Amino acid sequence: MIQKRLRNWDGHLAASRCRSHSLRTSRSAIAVIGFALALTGTVRPARAQYYPGQEYTGSNANIEGISVAGKASLPAKPNLVEIDVEVSASSELTADAIVKYRDARRRLHEAYTALKLANVTVEERGLLVDQKGQQQNPYFWGGMPNPRTKTEVQLTRKLVVKASNLRKMDEDALMQLIGKLLDVAQDAGAKVGPQVDYNNYYYYRWNQNPAGLVRFVLEDFDKLQEEAYEKAIADARARAERLARLSRVELGPIVAIREVSVPGDRSSFSNADDEPLRKRLEMSKYQDIPIKVELMVRFQVHSKSDAKGRTGEK
Amino acid sequence: MTVLRLAIMILLLLLLLLILSAIALGQTKEEKDERDGKVSNDSPARPLQMPPASTETKEAIEDFDRFQRRGAWERALKSLYTIPEDQTRRFIDGENNFIVPIERKRRSILSALAPNGQAACRLFYDAEAKKLFDEASGPTELKNLERVYSAYFITSVGDNAADRLGDLYFERGQFDQAADCWNAVLRERPDTDLSPALLSVKAAVALSRAGRQAEFEQLRRELSDRYSDEKITIGGQTAAPAAMLDRLLGDASKTTDTRTQSSHPVEAPLDLSGVVDPAWQLRFAASIEAGMTPTELTQWESNTLSGAVPAVAIDGTSVFVNFLGSIFALDLKSGKLLWRSGSFHNLEVTAMQQNVQMIDTSRFDIIASGEHIWTLGRDLKDQNFFAPFQLMCRRADNGELIWRTADLPEYAAYDLVGRPLLADGKLFITGKTNANPQQQQGLPQQFVLAIQPHDGKLLWKTEVGTFRQGRQMYWGYSRDSSPQPQLLYRAGSVYVDTHVGVFARLDADTGALDWGYGYKTDQVQGQNFFFWRGDYQQQEKTVSSQPVQSGEGFLIKGMQSDRLYAVDPNRMKVLWERPIAKSSRMLGASDSALFLGGAEISSLDLQTRQLLWATRVPNGSMDGRVLVRSDGLWQLTPRGVFEIDPKSGRVRRIFRGNDLGAAGGDLLLTDELLLAVSNRTISAYPRRGSGADVSIRPETATIKERASK
Repeated sequence: MIQKRLRNWDGHLAASRCRSHSLRTSRSAIAVIGFALALTGTVRPARAQYYPGQEYTGSNANIEGISVAGKASLPAKPNLVEIDVEVSASSELTADAIVKYRDARRRLHEAYTALKLANVTVEERGLLVDQKGQQQNPYFWGGMPNPRTKTEVQLTRKLVVKASNLRKMDEDALMQLIGKLLDVAQDAGAKVGPQVDYNNYYYYRWNQNPAGLVRFVLEDFDKLQEEAYEKAIADARARAERLARLSRVELGPIVAIREVSVPGDRSSFSNADDEPLRKRLEMSKYQDIPIKVELMVRFQVHSKSDAKGRTGEK
Repeated sequence: MTVLRLAIMILLLLLLLLILSAIALGQTKEEKDERDGKVSNDSPARPLQMPPASTETKEAIEDFDRFQRRGAWERALKSLYTIPEDQTRRFIDGENNFIVPIERKRRSILSALAPNGQAACRLFYDAEAKKLFDEASGPTELKNLERVYSAYFITSVGDNAADRLGDLYFERGQFDQAADCWNAVLRERPDTDLSPALLSVKAAVALSRAGRQAEFEQLRRELSDRYSDEKITIGGQTAAPAAMLDRLLGDASKTTDTRTQSSHPVEAPLDLSGVVDPAWQLRFAASIEAGMTPTELTQWESNTLSGAVPAVAIDGTSVFVNFLGSIFALDLKSGKLLWRSGSFHNLEVTAMQQNVQMIDTSRFDIIASGEHIWTLGRDLKDQNFFAPFQLMCRRADNGELIWRTADLPEYAAYDLVGRPLLADGKLFITGKTNANPQQQQGLPQQFVLAIQPHDGKLLWKTEVGTFRQGRQMYWGYSRDSSPQPQLLYRAGSVYVDTHVGVFARLDADTGALDWGYGYKTDQVQGQNFFFWRGDYQQQEKTVSSQPVQSGEGFLIKGMQSDRLYAVDPNRMKVLWERPIAKSSRMLGASDSALFLGGAEISSLDLQTRQLLWATRVPNGSMDGRVLVRSDGLWQLTPRGVFEIDPKSGRVRRIFRGNDLGAAGGDLLLTDELLLAVSNRTISAYPRRGSGADVSIRPETATIKERASK
C-alpha cells in the first residue's frame, strides 16, 4: 500500500517536473519574443530619424530627377570690429570684491567714454559670481585640494567693445582705432581677448588654434545674401543642365531644395555667453568675408521622347 | 589560550580606537581654535614654532593654576618656582595670540594674584628676593635685577628692583624696556614706597624717547592732574613733575635722536607730464641678448633669469646695482659705469642650468651707506641646489671686496634671506639654518643676526623659531617660493615679520627675543609626492611686504595670510584685524589710508576698514617698489609708469617712457631723477620738480616710502 502510494507520488513528481520544464521553455520563448519586439520598437524611431532623401537606394527605383549642389560666394567687407574684455575681481570679503569689481568696470567704461568715439559702444554680458580656486588636475594623482581652504568670491563679467562703420575707414585708420581700443582696455588693467579658464593640456584641447584678440564681424548682409541665393540657384541649374545634357534627358522644374550651408548660422558651441543668436559672420583677420550659400537642388527630368510627346500634345 | 588571545586582541582594538578618537578630538580642538581665531605656538599645523618651553615647564604653570584655585599657595608658588632658569627665555602662549617668554608669563601671573596669594609669595620668597637684590652689583647687577623683576616682582623689593632695572635699561638706550619697568611699578605696585611722580616722569621720558606718543601723552596728563602739588628732584634739580618733564624733554629735543624717525622730509613734486626723455639709460638686457639667434633668444626669454629685476641702491652720487650677483656702480648724474665686479654678458649660458632656474631672483639685494655697500647673493655657477646666499661687503668707490660671510666660519650654518637692514650702527639680516635633507640636517631654524657692518663680526644671533617643514624638494622643478622675512627698526627694537605666521620683537642691542605675535597663515603643507602636483597648485603670489607703521602700531600682512592685522607692539594688543585677499601686499600708508598691491592697487580706510577704491594696472602690483607719496602713487608697469590719485584711485597719467616691453619693476626717486629699474633697462628720467627730497634712499626714506620696498 505504502509502496503504491510512493509510486503515485513519484508519478506526480515526474509530471510536475515535466510541466515545470515546459513552463520554463514557454517563458523563455516569451522573453525572446518580447526582447525581439522591444528591439524592433527601438529601431523604429532611429529609422524615423533617417532622412529619406539621403538614402542610397542601390537601384533606380527611387531616383526622381537630378540632385545637384548649387554654390555661391560673395565677398563683403566687415562692418564691425569686436574685442572681448573681461573684468574680474576677487577677495576674501565679498564686499571688497564688489568694490574692486565695481571700480574696474566703471574705469573701463569711463576710459572708453573718454575716447569720445561715436561708433564705439561697450556691451555687457552676464555677471558670473564664482569662487576663485585652482583647477583640479583630472589625470594625475595630485589629490583633492585642501578642503579647509577658504573661498574667495570672484566676480567676473565679459564686456564686448564694438566699433562700427568700418567700411568708411581705410586700413590705417582702422588699425589706429583698434590700437586705441586695445590700449584703453590694457591700461585699464582688463584682460583682453578670449579668456580660457581651463588647462588645454589636461582637456584634450591642447594645440587648438586660439582665437584672435579682435573679431571682424559682418552683420548687414541681407541684400548680399539674396544675391548669393540667386547665384546658387543659377549655379545649381547650370550644373543640372549639364548633367541632363550628358544624360540625354530633359530637365524639368525644381522639385526639392535643401539648404546645406547658410551664411550666419552659429553653432551652439560658439555661444558660451548665452547671448541671443544673431545672424552674423565673423573672422579673426581683416579681409573680405565670404557670404557662402550652398543649396542641394533636385530637378525633375523627363526622357526626350516624353518631352517631345508633351511638346506634340501641346 | 584562545580566549586569552581574543581578550588581548579586543584590548588592542579598544586601545587603537581610543588613540584614534584622541587624535580626532585633538583635530577638533585645533579646528575650533582656528575658527575662534586663536593661535597656538604648539599647533602642529603652524609652519613656524617659536622656541617652546619644555613640557615640564608647561605642566608647572598648569599645576600653579590648579593649586591656586584651591588656595594651596605654598604648593602653587613652589610649582612656579621650580621652573629652571634656562626655561625662562623659552616661549609659551600668552594673551591675544601673543607668544611670550616664560619670565613674562610668570610675572603677569604673579601680578594678577589675589591679595592673599601675594602675601603668601612675600612670606615664602621675600628673603630670596632680598638676597638677589642686595647682591645686584657689578657684573651681576643686570642679571640679578632682571631675575627679581621677572620672578619676585610682587615681593617687597620687586618695585625697587624694577626701578633700578629701568635706570639701567635707560642708560643702555633700551627705552622701551625702561618704560615698561617703571610703568609696571606704577600700575601693578600701588603699595610702593617709591615716588609715583618721579616714576611717572622717568617713564614719560622713556616713552617719549621710544616714540610711544599716545602713552606719553596719557602720562603727561596724569602728571599735570595728579601730581601738580609735588616736587621731585632729578640730577640735582628740583621742580614740579610736569615742569621737570618739560625741562627734560626740552633738553632731549636738542640732542639728535637717531633712533626715532618722527619727521618726514618735505616732498617735492614729481612731474611726468608730457614727453620726458631719459637723462640716461642702461640697457643691460640688450647686451645679454646681443648676437643671439632667434632660437637662443626664445630660450632666454622663457628663462626665469630673463625676468629678473636687478636690486638697486642709491647713495650719494652713485647707483649701486646687484644683477644676479654681478655688482656694478653707475654715476647717478651721467649713468656712466664706475666699476663692476664681473661681466654678465654670458648669463644665458649659466641660465640653462637647472639649479639656476630654481633660484628666487628676488633674493638678490643690495644696500649702500657711506663708504660701503652690502650685497646679498649667490654664485650662479655653484651647482649645489642648496647653496646658501651670502652677504658681501665692498668699498663703494671701487668695489673692492672687504669681507664676505663665506669666509667667516660663524656664518657657515646660515642661508641668508631677506632684505638686510642697516640701523643703529648695525647690519641686521635674517637667515635660515641650512637644512639639506640629503645630509640629514633636520628642520631649518629662523634666525635674526646682527652684524658689525665694516668687518662682518657677528654681534648676536637669535633664534626666532623652528620651521615645522623642511625645504621642499625640487622634484617638480619649481622655483623656491618660500617667503622672505622682513625687518624693521624702531626705537631700539628690531621687528621681524617672518611671513610664516610670527611677527616678533627683538632688542637691537642684545638680540633678546621679547615676544612674538602669532597670526593666521597657511598651514604646513605635506611633501609633494607627485611630480605634477606643483603645476596646478601655483597661485598668484605677491612678494612679502614690510610691516607698515600706522600711528604707534604696525600693520602686518603675512605673505601666506588672508588677514590684515593692526598690532600695538607696546601694549601687546591687536587693535583690529580684517580679512583680506591672500594675494595682496602692503605698499605703504598715509595718515588715513593703507595702500595695497596685488591683482590691483587699492586703498583701505584705516578708520572704517572699508576698501575705498581699487584700480587695476597692467600685470597688477604683485611685486616691485611702488612710490607711495601723499601726492600720488607711481608704479612701473609693462605699459609705462602709472600715476594714481591716492584719494580716488583715478589713473591721473600714464607715462610711457622708454621701458616698454619690460615686465615692470622698481621705481626710485632722488633729488633730480626718477629711476625706473626693469628687467631690461635702468632709465633715469628728470623729475622736473625741484626740492630737497631724498625720500627713496633706504636710510632717509619716509616711513611711507620705505614701507613699499
